[in-house]
Amino acid sequence: MPDRDRSIALVAPRGIGRSLLLTVPMALFTLLLFTPVLRQPGRPTKLAALIAWAFMIALFFLMMRTRETYRWRRIFFITLGFLFPVGFIWDLVAVRSSMSIPIERMLSGDTPFCFMVLPMTLIPAALTRTIIFPGSILPTPSNPHSIAVMVALWLLATVILGKAWCSYGCFFGGLDEGFSSVAKKARLHKLNPKWRLAPWAILVAIVLLSAATYEPIYCMWLCPFKTVTEFPEVRSVQTALQFGIFIALFLALVVVLPFLTKKRTQCAFFCPFGAFQSIFSRTSIFDIRIDKEKCGAGCVLCQNNCPTLAIDQSSIQAGKTLSSCTRCGTCVDVCRKHAAVWHIKGTPVGVTPERARLLYLYAAWVFASIFGGSIIANSLQKLIGLIV
Amino acid sequence: MSNVAEALALGFGSGPVCVASCGPVLLPWLGAEPRELRTTGRLLALFLGGRLAGYLAFAVVAWAAGLAIPFDARTRTLVFGLANFGLAALLGISAFFPRRRCATVPDKRPTQLYQIGPADRFRTPAAVTLGFLTGLNLCPPFVTAGVRAAATHSLLGALGFFTLFFVGTAVWFLPSLAVSSLRRFSAVPTMARMTMAALAIYYAYLGVVCAASWRLAAGRAGNLVLFITGIVSHA
Amino acid sequence: MKRLTAILGYAAAVLTIVVAVVGPLFWFGVFSRAAAKTSLRIDPMYTGGEPARTIVHDGYQMVVYKPVPKRAPLSQTASFVQVVWKPASALPPAISEPVDLDGDGQPDCVVSFQASRGLDAKLRVSVEPLTTLVQPMNGVGKDSFSSLIARANDTIVVRVPLR
Repeated sequence: MPDRDRSIALVAPRGIGRSLLLTVPMALFTLLLFTPVLRQPGRPTKLAALIAWAFMIALFFLMMRTRETYRWRRIFFITLGFLFPVGFIWDLVAVRSSMSIPIERMLSGDTPFCFMVLPMTLIPAALTRTIIFPGSILPTPSNPHSIAVMVALWLLATVILGKAWCSYGCFFGGLDEGFSSVAKKARLHKLNPKWRLAPWAILVAIVLLSAATYEPIYCMWLCPFKTVTEFPEVRSVQTALQFGIFIALFLALVVVLPFLTKKRTQCAFFCPFGAFQSIFSRTSIFDIRIDKEKCGAGCVLCQNNCPTLAIDQSSIQAGKTLSSCTRCGTCVDVCRKHAAVWHIKGTPVGVTPERARLLYLYAAWVFASIFGGSIIANSLQKLIGLIV
Repeated sequence: MSNVAEALALGFGSGPVCVASCGPVLLPWLGAEPRELRTTGRLLALFLGGRLAGYLAFAVVAWAAGLAIPFDARTRTLVFGLANFGLAALLGISAFFPRRRCATVPDKRPTQLYQIGPADRFRTPAAVTLGFLTGLNLCPPFVTAGVRAAATHSLLGALGFFTLFFVGTAVWFLPSLAVSSLRRFSAVPTMARMTMAALAIYYAYLGVVCAASWRLAAGRAGNLVLFITGIVSHA
Repeated sequence: MKRLTAILGYAAAVLTIVVAVVGPLFWFGVFSRAAAKTSLRIDPMYTGGEPARTIVHDGYQMVVYKPVPKRAPLSQTASFVQVVWKPASALPPAISEPVDLDGDGQPDCVVSFQASRGLDAKLRVSVEPLTTLVQPMNGVGKDSFSSLIARANDTIVVRVPLR
C-alpha cells in the first residue's frame, strides 16, 4: 500500500444496483470465454476456472462500486504475479523434473517465447530474417507458446493497453508490486529520479549487443525472473555465473528494494521491456491527465504515491504523466482535488472522467480476465488438485 | 576497375554487419553529449578513420604473412582481449567521468554550454582510439576481404582493396549522424552514459575471457585461469 | 473541431473495447497464418541450419547440415557443422564414422561416440580432424552451441566446430 493520506473520502460509492448493471456485461462475456475451460473434465479444472472467473468479476464489481481502480487492480496483479510461477514451475517439474532448460529442448525448439525477448530480436530479424531465440515460429504440441502466438498476444495487448501492459498483463510485475505492498511505510525515501533512465539505457545496451552477438543478451545475463521461471542448464562456470546474477537481481530489485522503497523498483529502474512499451504509451487512446487549475498549489500526493515515479513537477506542469506511466490508477485515487483524472485523447480534460475510466476498464479488464485470469486458473488448478 | 567495383560492392554488402559490430561502442558514445550535426560528423569521421587504421594494420600483417587471417589463433586471442579491455576502459571513463561543463563559449541556448579546449582534445583521440579498437575485429566480411586482398600482388594493392571495402561499409554508418538530433532531449546524454557503463562491464568480461583463453593456450594455466576458462565456450 | 476530436476519441475508445472482446477469438489464428507465410526462421545457431546431405546406412541415417558461420562479430559461438544420426533407437552401440563436412567427397573428420547407453546417460563425443577445417573434440558433452553432443527427439545431434 503506498503512503496514502486519505483523510477525505474521494467520492461517494456507486449504488449496488448500478454497479451490478455495469458488471453484468463483463461477467457474461468473460463467462463465455471461460466456458471451454469449464467444460473440460476434472473437478480441479472446473473449480479453478470458476474461482478465477468469480475473482475477476468480484474485483470488477468493487471497482464499479467504490469508483476506485488501484486498490482492486493491485489485488489482481499481485495474485497474478505470485500464482504465475506456481503454475509455470509446476508444469516444468512435471515434464522434465527441473526448472532448468536442457540444451536438448533448445535444439528441438521447445523453449516458450517470452515477450521480454521481443526488442532484442528486431535488428537481427530485419538483417537476416532469423529469430535469435530457441523456440518455434508456430505452435507445436510440445511448445504452444510459440513466437507467433506470443507476438500476436503482445500486439493485441499493445493496441488495447499500451504501456498499461505493465499494470494489467505483465505476469512478472505483480511480484514487484507485491513486495512493495508489504511494509506500511517506506524506509528508503530518497530516490534519484535519474535512475528512471536506467531501463532505457539497458534497453539500448541489450538491443545493440544482441545485434552484435546474435544472442538474447538480456535472457542470458540480466533477467531477474529466471529465478522463478526457467533458466539455462547450469553446466559451466559461465552458466553458474549467469544464474548467480539472476538471483542477485531478483533479490535486490524485486524483493528488497520494493520492500524498502514501496516502489516498483524493478519496473521503474530496470525493466527494458517497460522502456520498450513506453514507446507505445502514445498509441493508447486512454491516458491520465492532471487538471492544473484544480491541482492549484500542489500537494504532490500523486507524485509521492506513484509506484513507478511517472509523475514529477515538470509533468504536473504539463498536465500529464510521463511516458513511463503504467495506468495503474494510484494518482487518480489519491488525488483529493480530483485533478488527476482518467482521460480519452481528443476529449476535454476532466469533463467526464468517470466515463473515460469505465471505457478504459472495460477494455483493460477484458484483456486481464482472458490473459491473467486464465493464468490464475491454470495455477489454481494445480493447487486445488493437491486437495481435491 | 573491376577490382574497385568488387571491393566497393563487398564492402557495401558487409556494411550492416560492421554497423552491428561497432554500434554498441559508437552509438552510445555519440549520444553521450549533446552535439551539433557538424561536430557529430567530425567525430564519426575520426571514428571511421581509426577503424580503417585497425583494418589496415591487420591487412599489412596478413599480406606480409601471405595469409587471409593474420596471426595464429593464440595471438589473435591476445589482440582481441587487449582491444576489449581498451574498449571497456574508454567506455568506462566516458561514462563515469563526463567532462565538466564551463561557460567558455555560450551556445545559442544558454542552458546548454559546451566546453572547448581540454575536453575537445579528449574527444579527438577518444574517437580515433575507439574506432581503432573496434577495427581490430575479424568479422566474416573482413576475412572475405582478406582472402581477396591476399590475392593481389602488391601490398599497396591489398591496402587499396581494403580501403575501398571500408568505404563501402562506411556508407552504412551515415544514419548514425541522426544521433545528433537527439540532443534536444536532455535525458539522452545521461541515458547514453548509463548505456556505456553497462557496455564497459560487458567488454571487460570479454577481455577477461580472451585473456584467460590466451593464458590457457600459452600453457600458463594456473588455477585462476582454469577457473575462468570454464567460462570460455570453445569459441 | 473540438466536438469532432471528442467524437473520434470516444469512437477509438469503443473500438478498443471491441478489439479486446473480439480480438482473442480470431487474431491468434490470423497472425500465425501470416507468420507462417513470412520467410522468418529460427536462428541456425539453435536449429543447426539446413540439411545438406543424407547418408543412408543399415537401419539409420546420418544427415550432414550446411556449415553455420559465426553469426555475428561479437558472438562467442564459433562456426560449426551439425551432423544428426537418426533414429537414435536404431543406432549401433558405438559409432565411429568418417564424415565429409564440406561436400567435396573427402572425409574431414572421424566422429566417435557411444550410442547404446540409456536415455539418461551423458553422451560424449570425440572428433578426430582429418583436414585443417575441423577443430578436435575429445570427450565433449554439451560444451556450447558450436561443440556438443545431445539426444533430441530420437536423434543424436553432434556439432563439430570449424576453424
